[in-house]
Amino acid sequence: MASTVATNQSVLTVDGVTKSFSSGPPWRRRRVEVLRGASLDVGRGELVGLVGENGSGKSTLMQVIVGLLARDAGTLAAPARLGYCPQQPLLWDKLTVDEHFELFARAYALDDQAAGAARRGLLDELGFAKYVGYRVEELSGGTRQKLNLALALLHDPELLLLDEPYAGFDWETYLRFWEMGERRRAAGMGILIVSHLLAERERLTRIYELRDGRCEVVS
Amino acid sequence: MTRIVVFAREQLRAPFTLALLVAIPALFVISAAGVLSDFASVLGGSLAGDAAVALSAGWAAAFISGSLGFFQAASSRGADRRLALAGLGPARVASSRIAASVGLAVVAAAAAFVALVVRVDVAHPLHAAVAILAFALLYLAIGIVVGSLITAPLEGSLLVVFVFLLDAFAGPGMSGGSATPWAVSQKAADVLIAAAMGTGSPSGDWVKLVIVTVGALVAAFLVFVASARSRA
Repeated sequence: MASTVATNQSVLTVDGVTKSFSSGPPWRRRRVEVLRGASLDVGRGELVGLVGENGSGKSTLMQVIVGLLARDAGTLAAPARLGYCPQQPLLWDKLTVDEHFELFARAYALDDQAAGAARRGLLDELGFAKYVGYRVEELSGGTRQKLNLALALLHDPELLLLDEPYAGFDWETYLRFWEMGERRRAAGMGILIVSHLLAERERLTRIYELRDGRCEVVS
Repeated sequence: MTRIVVFAREQLRAPFTLALLVAIPALFVISAAGVLSDFASVLGGSLAGDAAVALSAGWAAAFISGSLGFFQAASSRGADRRLALAGLGPARVASSRIAASVGLAVVAAAAAFVALVVRVDVAHPLHAAVAILAFALLYLAIGIVVGSLITAPLEGSLLVVFVFLLDAFAGPGMSGGSATPWAVSQKAADVLIAAAMGTGSPSGDWVKLVIVTVGALVAAFLVFVASARSRA
């Protein structure tokens, strides 16, 4: 049963979204329905979790929300200032950390002053300032993930979408990540975290479970 | 401009690629010209002598540019899409990526041209330089189109090589018959052979060469932009 928690300050409203994929050769075409009317809602200042088994469609729903995948049906309302941290860090191996910040600052249309301040703040907050001159190919998996997350936060988005964001983090960074989330939430940012395993349930406003292509509030 | 510089820097940080950019055209021109003319005679073609050497320079620039175009587009696809989505838009990402790759194609064409003029006395060197650059840009565009549609390295690179082989066998001088429609680099080859033979090319050939080359780059831009949008 699809559930929608209505708030009068929603930053994300997903309603009845469906998505299916075709696979296999033309003579043995199979259609897999991944999302069958998924609905969820994230309000300003809410930290919302989305859980589900492997292959349940969490990342698909995330990619539909972000715009990487086109939905088959349903409606979706999201702000233009949106931050997206994909499950696999989408970065350029040969570019340095600083060059990534430079490119994304341009993409977000930040001026030099705002970009510089945001960059310094994120490097300190996530503790990887010493790697600014390193190329991505020289970084550990955890530091890549920090950069992946920092790029999603650079423009201080209204809505932050995190797809398995702490994979590869050490314990200290993991705790720092949740503190960051709390601070952003307190400042009014809406955050949706997708994970197959959410241990920090007490920190979340609400948790949806994606099952059979639909979202249910489970906590 | 920043984006083009950053993307170009990214490409220049692969020293092996840079070495191949120079080494492949040089080796190809030195070693492949004789094989090309032998091959052409087996197929019933008339390609020989300086014309074969000149054509080998064009093919060398084409081969390396096509491979680079493919790997540039395919390997950076995820990050490029993310950047487009972040607000830059597919068109600006595509133009920056293609502009940076054109720089590499120019280097490959220059290396092939230098190898050519070192090996033989070219009657119209400027014509030859333009024709070799056209080969490089044409195949850069083909590589980008394939890399935008197919990200799997094996399948994508095989497709680029397949197009290259079809084009090479169907090109002027390679067989007894007239050039076939899938000889995409036919005009570049005509101009290059004419430059080597000292006959020059009619203005119609130049116009067609420009149309085909610019058209290929525009097609590459459009396919790149389409692939950076939401997938169905």
